[in-house]
Amino acid sequence: MNSVKADNGASLLEVEDLAVEFDTYGGIVQAVRGVSFSVEKGKTLAIVGESGCGKSVTVQSMMGLIPMPPGRITSGSAKLKGQEILGRTVVNGKEIRGSEIGMIFQDPMTSLNPTMTIGDQIAEPLQVHRGYSYKKAFNEAIRLLEMSKIPEAAKRARQYPFEFSGGMLQRAMIAMAIACKPSILIADEPTTALDVTIQAQILDLLQDLQRETGMAVILITHDLGVVARMADEVAVMYAGKIVEHGMVDDVFYRSAHPYTLGLKEAMPTNDPSLQHELKPIEGSPPDLFSPPRGCGYCARCPYAMQICNQRQPDDTFLTESHFSRCWLHHVSSPNKPDQLYFKEEA
Amino acid sequence: MRSTMWIFILKRLVQGIFTVWFIATATFFAMHNVPGDPLLNDRATTDAIRANLEAKYGLDKPVMTQYGIYLGNLLQGDLGISFTQENREVNDIIRDHFPVSAILGILAVIFAAAGGVLWGALTAIYRNRWPDYVIMFLVILGISVPSFVVAAISQLFLVNVNGLFGTTVLPVAGWGTVLHMLVPAMVLGLGTMAYLTRLMRSSMLEIISSDFVRTAKAKGVPPARIFAKHQLRNAILPVITVLGPSIAAITTGGFVVELVFAIPGLGRYFVQAVQQLDYTVIMGTTVFYGAFLVFMVIVVDVLYGFIDPRVRMEY
Repeated sequence: MNSVKADNGASLLEVEDLAVEFDTYGGIVQAVRGVSFSVEKGKTLAIVGESGCGKSVTVQSMMGLIPMPPGRITSGSAKLKGQEILGRTVVNGKEIRGSEIGMIFQDPMTSLNPTMTIGDQIAEPLQVHRGYSYKKAFNEAIRLLEMSKIPEAAKRARQYPFEFSGGMLQRAMIAMAIACKPSILIADEPTTALDVTIQAQILDLLQDLQRETGMAVILITHDLGVVARMADEVAVMYAGKIVEHGMVDDVFYRSAHPYTLGLKEAMPTNDPSLQHELKPIEGSPPDLFSPPRGCGYCARCPYAMQICNQRQPDDTFLTESHFSRCWLHHVSSPNKPDQLYFKEEA
Repeated sequence: MRSTMWIFILKRLVQGIFTVWFIATATFFAMHNVPGDPLLNDRATTDAIRANLEAKYGLDKPVMTQYGIYLGNLLQGDLGISFTQENREVNDIIRDHFPVSAILGILAVIFAAAGGVLWGALTAIYRNRWPDYVIMFLVILGISVPSFVVAAISQLFLVNVNGLFGTTVLPVAGWGTVLHMLVPAMVLGLGTMAYLTRLMRSSMLEIISSDFVRTAKAKGVPPARIFAKHQLRNAILPVITVLGPSIAAITTGGFVVELVFAIPGLGRYFVQAVQQLDYTVIMGTTVFYGAFLVFMVIVVDVLYGFIDPRVRMEY
């Protein structure tokens, strides 16, 4: 399947300085304000952040799922295997959507067509992208359902979405998204609408399928538990920017941004040795109609300094793969809180 | 088709028979309470003739007995003899004139449904752009202008067109060929089409922004296929729901158009009968129309099941 190899050291997907805005009655909303990240083959990148931070818009803009107008990609690039995909639907003669990149969504109950059988819906990308006959595609759909661990797949393929439970529907969605063996699967809050036991099963399934197919996964979530379980790399987003990025252990155990710290303190834990009260992050995210001049988090940040309000901080690399976008990491910062991780002095 | 579906149809038919019985009963007693007397005209002069006529129609018997006779005849499919037209059974009137009304009505319904779905989908796809504005303006016109005005204007238009070509392109009135049917059917279906367009537009707008359409886009399905396979079938459901009542509106509203275009349909007899207090014709046509509409609603319900699998399960 890898007709084009990403052999020159470049990543499978490379997103550079992506910015997206929307025209609304209230003015222009700058939903994504310069986001860069890369995804390696076979790895999982988690994008974490609260509602409205721009994480869904980021991936939907790559997939061309943003209605334009009112949406607009104002800058940036996204290169899949070295080829630009923003504003395009085909690279190297292959359709991006559904073929190179598969996508699953938050609410499986509403994300499937109620008047089409599950099998037909899974068969559809195969008919569209691979030119399979209906029969061949339908048989492949049954095999995909089996792969997604749906019992009695042949019978289930002839049923309609309303005959499935939420967890089953999400399995069907996954089967549909991986039908054409995409190199990347984008999972936009895949477990948010499901109850906890089903969540675990769906995450297991995603991991199994990733191992079998070698695809990369971009996982969008606000659940740090899901991140810890699934991710290789984590990007923490806030107010349309990535504020911290690193390997999962870096971000969890060597958190270097006050927002990441705030998220961790707001996360419940079942470790009795870590008994602490959940601490919500006070306040609300900044108004993206007129984004703050300085750091987006400064109004809620317990360590905010004067400069935070006035100028954007730069990315400070703590290790080669771990950076934080915070003034506290500046060489001349007077304050180095104990809870945060700082670059070790050489 | 599942066997449960046949049970569903059977159930609806039994319900339908009750509905028709209710219509028949209500009409019968309503007619009895209408002031006036069909035999009180110039022809029924002497008391002897009057008594004979009353005996013939059973009008000398108590009301409940008459009701019994009426229901008994109805069950045998005998709707009686017209009071005002010589030697004409109501059955004959229906047999002669209903097919004309039915063809006109069916054409109008097809025109209204096809037009409504098409224009509605178009306005939704081009929402807030000029095709939307133009069509929605015409829709408001179609809803608010009464059909006899549209009928008259279209006749005037036909006269001018025929005059322009110096030959009869489309006949202005009358009945007989397909050409006679086209314009009256359009006029008859226009109001319903406008109504269905609005319905389809709002339904389509909802579907366009739905999650499963986004899923289809994420799968890379081309727009034409998304429209045909994902949007249309789901957006059309509310339109089908109101199609039953729409058929009622069109068939009963047909008499105005039939009158203007001089079409020998049943609607004209229906109205004439009311004016002349022709008991048997009024009751016969009312019950017949009622039965026809009940049947059409059942047909629409079954059709709905074919399109929406969720409904099929409830059969």
